[in-house]
Amino acid sequence: MANQKILIVDDDPDITYTMQMILESHGYQVDSAVNSTTAKSRMEQEKPDLIILDVMMDTMHEGFDFDRELKHHPEYKDIPVLMLTAVKERFGLDFKPEAGNQEWLPVEEFLDKPVKPTVLLEKVEKLLGN
Amino acid sequence: METILDNEQFVKRAFWLVKLRWITAFLLIGIAYVISKLFDSASLEIPLYVIGAVLLAYNFLLYLILRCLVRLHDIPLGRAINRIIILQITADLLILTGVIYYSGGVENPFFFYYIFHVIISSMLLSRRMSYLQATLAVFLFGLLLTLEYFKIIRHRPIAGFLDVNLFQNTYYVLGVFVVFSTTLYLVVYMTTSIVLQLRKQQDRYKLLNLELNKKDRIKNEYLLSVSHDIKSHMAVIKSCLDILSTHMAGPLNEKQSELVERADRRAFKSIAFLSTLLKLTRMRLTGKIERERFSLKQCIYNAFAAIEEKAEFKAISVTYEIYVKKDTVFGSPLLIEETLRNLLINAVKYTPENGTVSLYVTEDNTFFTIQITDTGIGIPSDEKDKIFDEFYRAENARKVEKDGTGLGLSISREVVQRHGGAIWVSSHEGTGSTFSFTLPKYKNA
Repeated sequence: MANQKILIVDDDPDITYTMQMILESHGYQVDSAVNSTTAKSRMEQEKPDLIILDVMMDTMHEGFDFDRELKHHPEYKDIPVLMLTAVKERFGLDFKPEAGNQEWLPVEEFLDKPVKPTVLLEKVEKLLGN
Repeated sequence: METILDNEQFVKRAFWLVKLRWITAFLLIGIAYVISKLFDSASLEIPLYVIGAVLLAYNFLLYLILRCLVRLHDIPLGRAINRIIILQITADLLILTGVIYYSGGVENPFFFYYIFHVIISSMLLSRRMSYLQATLAVFLFGLLLTLEYFKIIRHRPIAGFLDVNLFQNTYYVLGVFVVFSTTLYLVVYMTTSIVLQLRKQQDRYKLLNLELNKKDRIKNEYLLSVSHDIKSHMAVIKSCLDILSTHMAGPLNEKQSELVERADRRAFKSIAFLSTLLKLTRMRLTGKIERERFSLKQCIYNAFAAIEEKAEFKAISVTYEIYVKKDTVFGSPLLIEETLRNLLINAVKYTPENGTVSLYVTEDNTFFTIQITDTGIGIPSDEKDKIFDEFYRAENARKVEKDGTGLGLSISREVVQRHGGAIWVSSHEGTGSTFSFTLPKYKNA
């Protein structure tokens, strides 16, 4: 599991910082981006093994849009996506656990903020197949 | 439409008229019988019985039509019912004229009963239509008087009731007619004035209510964005504390550990509070829940699983008895389970050691009733109405359990109401409480 690369895409530097700390303390290599544009340029430099994606950034649904773009990209479509959200309470979108399997939003896993360190690690491990 | 009634009230009124007509028809037949016995007037009896029978038949037909109309919900009901009410009153005026004719004409004091029709139309129909109905009554009565006066139709007196032939007394007939017609028009004027005033008042209330709803919406939106904002900060604080308490940022000494733990506990509580508040506010704002068919029993089993440990710890016996055949509900299983859990957790929380908590499910034709009874501290009677309000916690509850959001029962009520049910409590302070709520049964069409 060492050297597996995770890209966190979130516009809240504090969220990114804490997650980075949790993940790095468990041996992952973590990179971060504040929006989808920066994320793309980071990915061109180094392809991540997992992307942790926030829903709301510059727009309310930037995370959704970016995720869909990834899933249609020949090179990136196999990278698992863990979607982070506190948006559920704000907009009343009810994501069901199986939502990730649906065509409209193909993500592998959802997590509500705040994420417990143990839960985060568990999901990351599962998605990376460790 | 120029009336104070909405659709549903209109339908009710139409049925009310039908009910009144049943009574009228039987009264008519009864009175005809009594009068014929009193005055030995057979010429009066038969026509009145016939009219009574016609009235019964026509009323029955009307009843059937109304029933049919109510079943066909997709047509503009108000207008159809309005027309039916106009027709009813018109037919009633004709029938009354028939009755008056066969029972003495102007000599029958019952002719003042036209006033009832005029009052009813003034209450139910527009002002214009009420004047038209009054005019019809005046016309019919006037016609009857004229035809009898000029002997175009035969006068049918009640034998033995009056000795004089009033129907040919010009002054008397004219006098009756003038008083009668002015009375009817005045009645229309007075009644519709009162009705219009009421309608204006009602419109004002409607407007005020609309405004209140708008303000409530603004309040909810405000609450939503404020609590969302605070929660996102709290989430970061919690994450930082999580890292500290799991020693991912290095070891802590005992004092530091304790401080972090305290902060972590408070952060957790405030996040839980904000999450509940957000959920409640969101439900109020959207008014929507995702619905599916689900098993009520399964929800109950799940909710029980969540409280077993706590109950065992306090040596509280928890039992459930479910007396229903089919247990399908159409709604949100997650929200219903949460409601059950909320109520059960409360029951366990406020019941002293060695007490009991029991749940019963019963059913009638349309509803399931879920009852949760405990042997807990109960609710002071003056606080029973308030415990479902946001942030309200009963005084004795605060003593037992310092922490508590005061949101659990509000959210339960919201959930139950969104499902089309009701929730209530009966309780005696010191002996226990019973929380009950209903859920509509799923009817497989």
